[in-house]
Amino acid sequence: MKDSRRLVLDKLKEHGIAGDTSYPAYSHPHTGITDPREFFRSVVESVGGECRFVADLEAARKCVAGSEVFLAAKEVCSYVKEVAEGNFEAEAKADAHQCAEVDLTIIRGELGVAENAAVWINADPLRHRALLFISGNLVLVLDGRDIVPDMESAYARIDFSRLRSGYFISGPSKTADIEQCLVIGAHGAKSLLVLVVG
Amino acid sequence: MKSHARLAAAFLKQEERAHWHDQALWYVREKRDRMAASVPDWEALRETAQAIKRHALANLPRYLEEFEQNAAARGAIVHYALDDAEHNRIVLEILKGRNARLVAKSKSMLSEECGLNEFLERNGVEVVETDLAERIIQLAGERPSHIVLPSIHIRKEEVGEIFHKHLGTQRGESDPTRLTRAARSHLRERFLAAEAGISGVNFAVAETGAVVICTNEGNADLGNSLPDLYIAVMGVEKVIPKSRDLSVFLRLLSRSATGQPISAYTSHLLGPRPGQEMHIVIVDNGRSEILRRERFHKAAFCIRCGACLNTCPVYRRSGGHSYNYIIPGPIGTILAMHRDLKKYKDMPYASTLCGSCTAVCPVKIDIHRQIVLWRNEVVEAGYLGRAKSAALKTTTLGMKSTRLFRIGGWAVRKLLRILPPFVFNNRLTIWGRSRNLPKMPARSFRAEFRAYSRSKTDLSESRMNREARS
Repeated sequence: MKDSRRLVLDKLKEHGIAGDTSYPAYSHPHTGITDPREFFRSVVESVGGECRFVADLEAARKCVAGSEVFLAAKEVCSYVKEVAEGNFEAEAKADAHQCAEVDLTIIRGELGVAENAAVWINADPLRHRALLFISGNLVLVLDGRDIVPDMESAYARIDFSRLRSGYFISGPSKTADIEQCLVIGAHGAKSLLVLVVG
Repeated sequence: MKSHARLAAAFLKQEERAHWHDQALWYVREKRDRMAASVPDWEALRETAQAIKRHALANLPRYLEEFEQNAAARGAIVHYALDDAEHNRIVLEILKGRNARLVAKSKSMLSEECGLNEFLERNGVEVVETDLAERIIQLAGERPSHIVLPSIHIRKEEVGEIFHKHLGTQRGESDPTRLTRAARSHLRERFLAAEAGISGVNFAVAETGAVVICTNEGNADLGNSLPDLYIAVMGVEKVIPKSRDLSVFLRLLSRSATGQPISAYTSHLLGPRPGQEMHIVIVDNGRSEILRRERFHKAAFCIRCGACLNTCPVYRRSGGHSYNYIIPGPIGTILAMHRDLKKYKDMPYASTLCGSCTAVCPVKIDIHRQIVLWRNEVVEAGYLGRAKSAALKTTTLGMKSTRLFRIGGWAVRKLLRILPPFVFNNRLTIWGRSRNLPKMPARSFRAEFRAYSRSKTDLSESRMNREARS
């Protein structure tokens, strides 16, 4: 196996790529986004999610408490206690498989990207990163000041030096694999609500 | 092995289906256009994406080593495989080492290329494809017909049949939402039972050792977070230098692929989760050969978005299964030719050379130009076939000599007016099977042009005379 490593790397040294092979200097900000918050909201909705602006965490709490998903949920796992208490402690479970019945997970997002509605989630504080995908529904709580216009500004703010896993989540899980008909809720969350606070 | 033309003809016999296929893919292409137009710097992004690829692939050994070191520092175990057989062997050994009998697998064109599933099944490992489309074709015992929409050739009624047989859904069910829900609960069980997860990789970042995976369904994420064993398989060309480069590729990938601003999930995995064993298998399997050929190396820039398939007038009308290589369409053509010139010799001819593929490619691969160059290679190698070779030779002869060209033109103009159409539109003349000859003009172009220049000279002379008089 060590041999294959050497062989592969040696073979790749002899390439036929001619011309300028220097690393390009570039910057392509998504100009044209005058109101990142509003842009973000409209893209969240276009990708099948829901986005609400709330004044503070108390307003966020009310918003969640009144939502259909919350009212129907049996197991709620919350990492934002100000928004909901929750009745399921994923941190107390030894195995991610025990989270299989969680109906709703509430968690903070670190960053929202206006151009594509992606919310950056650092999963390192979670004992079970699987929770993000196994949970029936997701509520992401985002500080209004953390919305950036585009992916370039997003990556400029993410620190990978100690990260073990991080996710961009844009809308609920979906598929169009049967005759190109969009179905929300494939394997991951069946609904996604982003609460933009402040 | 049947040729593309024959397989395409069979596909087109089912007219309604063929029409649907064409329209469905065109719809995706239009979504892509709208998305591309909404990004102000789209063309510059494509340029940058190509420049990054060119740089990364020209310096692959360095970046692979950097990636490997960083991934290893985060606890991942990195393997290299020279070819498909070694790749399969490594994966099997890892699975056996942990006694894993059930694998939840996410879509990976590399594993299709290597025939991983069949190999593992032969060796007593059950592989469950978890992407909905991949699961559908796995249950149907078929191969993907598209690299991003693997089951685009299957209608919902057929999915209903397949699910009725394998998942026990109601007979006659064809509602996409209900069928998707059935697949969700069926696959949820498998996810919870799987002892290992396997997935492909969209990008590998040298700077951090991160493996980046994009999906809409969240299947890759369940597969890499639930089991205690996770294997990521990737081609050598997936490495990019920096995290920042992801901003360029991610902005292009989903917009080009499905017309979405980004996939629902973009996962960045830097080493295994606590308590997990994570392996990364880096595979060459002919990629170094592609990179070595100056004229054809750009095929290795591909980020597998499938935009060239969606836009290709031939692919849309002939379906993915009419191409004999595992990757169909324009990009499949220029990849297949590296594998086996003789076996896939018909693929460069399954093209109108319209250049639409090149126009939409997010990393600006000159796909249609490469297709022409591959035709060249096929002819040079003598794989063209007798009829086409003879036709080309005759044409070359005629084109080389002015006299022969004139005589030939005269003869064709005369003969075509006299001879009945069945002489050309019969089963033997390949060309005339699905085409009609145009109406022959009375005079040759040469004669027309002579007449035209004469009238023009007359005109300008009379004008000059008039001006002189006044």
